[in-house]
Amino acid sequence: MATMREPTFLILTALAGEPRHGYGIVREVETLSGMRLLTGTLYTALDRLTAEGLVEHDRDEEVDGRTRRYYRLTAAGLTALTAETARLRGLATAAEARLRAARPRTA
Amino acid sequence: MRIWLLAYPRGHRRDEILETLREAGRTRPTAREAANLVRHGLRARLGRPASRTVAVWATLTALICGLFTAGFAVRAAWETARPLPTAAEATSMLAEIVPGRHFEGLADAPSLFVVYGGPLRWSATRDLLLGDGGEYQPAGVGGGTPGDADVAATVQRLRDLGWTVYPPIEHDLYGCAGPPCDPATIPTSTTLVAARGDTVFTLELTGTYLSASFQRAAPWPVWPAGIAGFLLGAAGSFLLFGWASRRRPRASATVLLAIALFLWWTPTVFAAPLALNHHLSEPHPSWHPLWEWLGQPTFSLLFLLGTAAALLSLAVSALPAGARVRYRAGA
Repeated sequence: MATMREPTFLILTALAGEPRHGYGIVREVETLSGMRLLTGTLYTALDRLTAEGLVEHDRDEEVDGRTRRYYRLTAAGLTALTAETARLRGLATAAEARLRAARPRTA
Repeated sequence: MRIWLLAYPRGHRRDEILETLREAGRTRPTAREAANLVRHGLRARLGRPASRTVAVWATLTALICGLFTAGFAVRAAWETARPLPTAAEATSMLAEIVPGRHFEGLADAPSLFVVYGGPLRWSATRDLLLGDGGEYQPAGVGGGTPGDADVAATVQRLRDLGWTVYPPIEHDLYGCAGPPCDPATIPTSTTLVAARGDTVFTLELTGTYLSASFQRAAPWPVWPAGIAGFLLGAAGSFLLFGWASRRRPRASATVLLAIALFLWWTPTVFAAPLALNHHLSEPHPSWHPLWEWLGQPTFSLLFLLGTAAALLSLAVSALPAGARVRYRAGA
């Protein structure tokens, strides 16, 4: 599987907790990472993730006369997110080990 | 704010995106957000959200269609050029530029562009399609006379007459790599190129013969017409590509488009560097017409075959879903 881009990882992570609508995902991504996800980027990613079977439509809700469309992770999405999280954890662990080894020399 | 959403195909999440922007407190997107919406909206027009190559295909299609449309627009804009000087006017100008010489063979040009010296006619179709398309060229009014002329004096005379004279070009009259001929002593020819208003003058001096020709420079409407043609052609073909792509046509439509792109791009990829090299190596008061940079009409047969393949690809894409299934089954 190709390496997941950061916005994709963050969108999947935002949906891991509960189904969310567009602006809900934007807010959750900002809370998680401080990154302000642009609306065009979000919906292109949602289109792609839906086509890849990682995300699916959950339900529609009417709020103040406006329709909110909710999305949720699929089982495949959960698997992909789990695999990417493990990959990133492995990278972070390797980086930490090298940093620990480098500190005494640079101190 | 809705105007930025026009980049998205009709009905494609436009309301949902608008609601997301409103919830974020946006009444007007920033320049970065607007650019982001346009970029992703155009991407959404292509359908195929999971495809990593569809944008490349769309770009290749839009670029080449834009260039060809620009080529046609440029040709149309050339019709605004003044007629070429008559033979009498050319004779009169030559008498000033190279006094005392009588140039033979001057005749009125039959049209602005000629094939083998004559205007473009249906009878020339075979020549154009089967390898002689390069004979379709801007017409010139010119002639020749035996003898020689002093280059420096001719340049000065041209300047005195108000012509802008470009640096003379020296050519060997024939190739010579070494003995028995001497590269240092083989005869050379000198070509002078000058421009005045919308007239381009070329004089070739071989030492024993003078050839002169007047041609028309590209008229100014060629530029806006070319740019408008490019934009219209690129935008139109992009929208058509998106429409066909969203219909998820059969593989045959994709193969036909790939054939069309191959037949359209191949001459362009070969011709454009050659044309650029030619323009850099010689002075050009007026650039060669755009279509020559695209390898046209030298490779017009490839262009026509490519166009047929592209139209067939569109036709297959336009088939209703049921008909596409039957088509696929060979029924």
